[in-house]
Amino acid sequence: MDSKLHLLMVLVPGLPLAAAILTALFGPRHLKAASHWPVILALAGSFLASLGLLTEVKQRAAKTADKGGYEHVLALWTWMDLPDALRLDAATASLSAGAVANATDTGADASQKTASGSALRDFRIDVTLRADPLTSTMLSMVTFISTLVAIFAAGYMKGERGYWRFFTYIALFVFSMTMLVSVSNFALLFVFWEAVGVCSYLLIGFWYPKPDAAAAGMKAFLVNRVGDFGFALALFLIWTTYGTLDFHDRAAVATFAGEAAASAEESTGDSSSDRVAGPLGVVSPSRIKANAYWGGAVGLAICLLLMLGACGKSAQFPLHVWLPDAMEGPTPVSALIHAATMVTAGVYMVTRCTPLFSASPEAQATVAVVGGATALLAGLIALTQHDLKRVLAYSTVSQLGYMFLGLGTGSLLGIVAGMFHLFTHAFFKALLFLGSGSVMHAMGHIIDMRRFSGLRRLMPVTHATFLIGCLALAGVPPLSGFWSKDAIVASLHEQAHHWQEAGAGGSAHAAGVAGVEGKADGSHAANAAIPAANVPTLISAAALATLYQGLYFLALLVAFMTAFYTFRAFYLTFYGPERIPAEAGSHAHESPWSMCGPLAILAVLAAGIGGYLEWTHGFAHFVSLAPSLAGGPVLGTEKPGEFHLTVAATSTLVALGGILLASYLYLGSKREVQWLSSKANLEELSSWMDVERVAKWRQKPWIAAIHARAKGSGLGWLTAILGNLVLFAALLLTAPLALGHYISPYRLSYRKFYWDEIYMATVVWPLQTLGLLLAWIDRWIVDGAVNLCGRMPTQLGSLMRSLHMGLVPFYGLAMLLGTLILIAAKLLWAGS
Amino acid sequence: MADPAAELFNYLTVGGILFALGLIGFLVRRNMIVMFLCAEMMLQGISISLVAWGKYHANWGGQMLVIFILTVAACEAAIALALVLMLFHRSGRLDIAFWQEMREEGQPAYVDREIPEEREEDKVWPTLTPAGRLPSRDPEIDLHRSRV
Repeated sequence: MDSKLHLLMVLVPGLPLAAAILTALFGPRHLKAASHWPVILALAGSFLASLGLLTEVKQRAAKTADKGGYEHVLALWTWMDLPDALRLDAATASLSAGAVANATDTGADASQKTASGSALRDFRIDVTLRADPLTSTMLSMVTFISTLVAIFAAGYMKGERGYWRFFTYIALFVFSMTMLVSVSNFALLFVFWEAVGVCSYLLIGFWYPKPDAAAAGMKAFLVNRVGDFGFALALFLIWTTYGTLDFHDRAAVATFAGEAAASAEESTGDSSSDRVAGPLGVVSPSRIKANAYWGGAVGLAICLLLMLGACGKSAQFPLHVWLPDAMEGPTPVSALIHAATMVTAGVYMVTRCTPLFSASPEAQATVAVVGGATALLAGLIALTQHDLKRVLAYSTVSQLGYMFLGLGTGSLLGIVAGMFHLFTHAFFKALLFLGSGSVMHAMGHIIDMRRFSGLRRLMPVTHATFLIGCLALAGVPPLSGFWSKDAIVASLHEQAHHWQEAGAGGSAHAAGVAGVEGKADGSHAANAAIPAANVPTLISAAALATLYQGLYFLALLVAFMTAFYTFRAFYLTFYGPERIPAEAGSHAHESPWSMCGPLAILAVLAAGIGGYLEWTHGFAHFVSLAPSLAGGPVLGTEKPGEFHLTVAATSTLVALGGILLASYLYLGSKREVQWLSSKANLEELSSWMDVERVAKWRQKPWIAAIHARAKGSGLGWLTAILGNLVLFAALLLTAPLALGHYISPYRLSYRKFYWDEIYMATVVWPLQTLGLLLAWIDRWIVDGAVNLCGRMPTQLGSLMRSLHMGLVPFYGLAMLLGTLILIAAKLLWAGS
Repeated sequence: MADPAAELFNYLTVGGILFALGLIGFLVRRNMIVMFLCAEMMLQGISISLVAWGKYHANWGGQMLVIFILTVAACEAAIALALVLMLFHRSGRLDIAFWQEMREEGQPAYVDREIPEEREEDKVWPTLTPAGRLPSRDPEIDLHRSRV
């Protein structure tokens, strides 16, 4: 009965892997220009399998609703098993074994406590795949986008050298990404986290002879590495705190041969917790039900380090610098990896670890702040870029910040909204990127918007689909972007209210939501199934309320900016006089159907899917059945489903305002743009610093008249001194005001707030210098010491060499002397 | 008989003198045959010492060893003279200082002091009134004769 499910679970990552191997082996010689066939077929098959998985999971989850979520874990084989690798102390062990560590101490708990004292844990990693609502949603989205991108790439990369290599890497990437969302173990998650990073490096640097592309690939990988360092530390902490790295309970695992010896195949999370043998998984229903999570310093540390990992992968501040440079890779790569799939791995991971984050509201606030800051930063930078792909890249960073804003609220509404935005964003961002790829293809690989314009008559399909994508990104109802963005903004608004009320100590609202932990009086009896949320210790509730309110306004501001820069890019590309750069040659026509087809499909979905899923509440209901979101303190928070009219109206108005402003500035003659940019560049200020101009003032008529009059009355020296003082002041002002020229708002935005230069100066340059120093030490000191050792025998030998001069009597003398020394030694020292 | 110790002492002295002479001669002389003779003299000196010790301890041990030494000296003589002969065939000289090529790189060669030029008035060779006939010489033999 489970075999169909198991087969689907294995097919989804297995088909891309098979395609990758096939293309790698047969691509260079046999398949050549047909290398896309195995990959496209495999990805389509994988998509169909993931759809099947989705329906299967939906059916099963509906049967087990309200019981802590649905998950089904399949173990393929054991990767490593080190018995008794960790000793947990008593408190941690009892926490892991399911006893409630909160102060509730009813009699029923006594039977659940294991033997007192420390417990031993095995370090065991099984290669496990899981099927739950969250995974199947991600899988269907990833495989669908991958299939469309592969079809697009078959047209885009036609005739390219290394065609087979490209498709091998694409298939390998899809394999890694599907495994990333399918595995049920932190260590394996880390493995595939790195694997997608490697594939990203290979694909960004696909045109490796180009130095910019190679450097961009390296930058992406190294910045990701910094995040992975945080992630690895988080893994170590999770291991020592929870004693296991699995998501699931050890006993709730199925295999191909049959079910596990212990309890039922589907972990339902109800009274079977006392039958669970072995350690509880980190985010398994049993642990969530028992709320056996560490808060305090350890919990905060784990969450912050996980967030650092997510920052690296999802390009959040301060590790956002790699994503814009990653646009050096081919456009299908940007569409697949840096819009829809790889960068969403961080969001997926944080969603999966929701129970861990719920134990630490400070960490959630940090997530929200990081997301908001990134959204703002990226939005500001995108306002002035003239490279279409860069605008889209910064837009991606900004939208990822939005997703983290949603996740950072900590409420079910917010988390589901974040995932929903991930889902819809994948569609319209992939659409936008593929549209820009279509433009690039037609313009001869030029993507600088200053060099072309007015393409709407030349490329009608691209124009129409790009428009739909822009509307979706800006968040105009009824397109899909509106629903997801609105949900995030609404969650911020609601969370601000929640903390306000919690801070004011309102008991009615606080029941079961923000109650003091461990209170076991009668008023909580009705909500006994929902564990009490942890109270933030480091930040007061009032401060959190202000924070979320601020983030709400920030989200609205960023929505305005998003609409503005998106339509700025749209108008600059498709409107205005028709200009085509010389590199386009004979290419300047609409793209073939292999490229326009995916655009059309994505446009339809970008327009419709958000509304459809929101209308039926299908997405929210389905994803809430994932174990991470189906139990624990998150249940007591705001739930999705309610439609907040004021918030929706505000965000719509904001989006329309942005579009209107962009239309006013960029449609037509663009006079005001020049004026605006010169103001923003503080150009008037530079006129004050020009010493020559100030010196010419003495020739102004009224100044000359005063000077003449003063000379006449003998005070010429006074006016001369005054004039020279003014000149001197201008000279003095040159230096600091010159700095102002560099940090004018326009320049700050255009130069990406100088973050690349800051990193270059603070991180890259010291390390390079250190590297040079160490290389010098290695070559001259270490190698010198070794060479010295090598030269010593030669030197010693040259001392002895003079004893061999070839004359026989001399050798006889040497023998005589040696004998005398021996005899003397024997006589003097040898004794008896 | 006089004091055996004194007698021993006298014999040892003689043997020692012989040995010392041989040693010094071996180190100083340049003629290969003379060097060999000095080596033999060293052996003879030892032999006298051994016989003296034998008489002192009143057993045959000393003399027995001397017989062995004489045998070994004879073998050694054969080999040594054969070697000297070969070296002489190659170089025409009996000078040990000629054979000094087996040295380390970079070491200076031993060069004799310059022999001053002969003065013209010293180049007087004794002559004999010619008598008889010059013997006939076979050019073939002359060709293969070793250089003298």
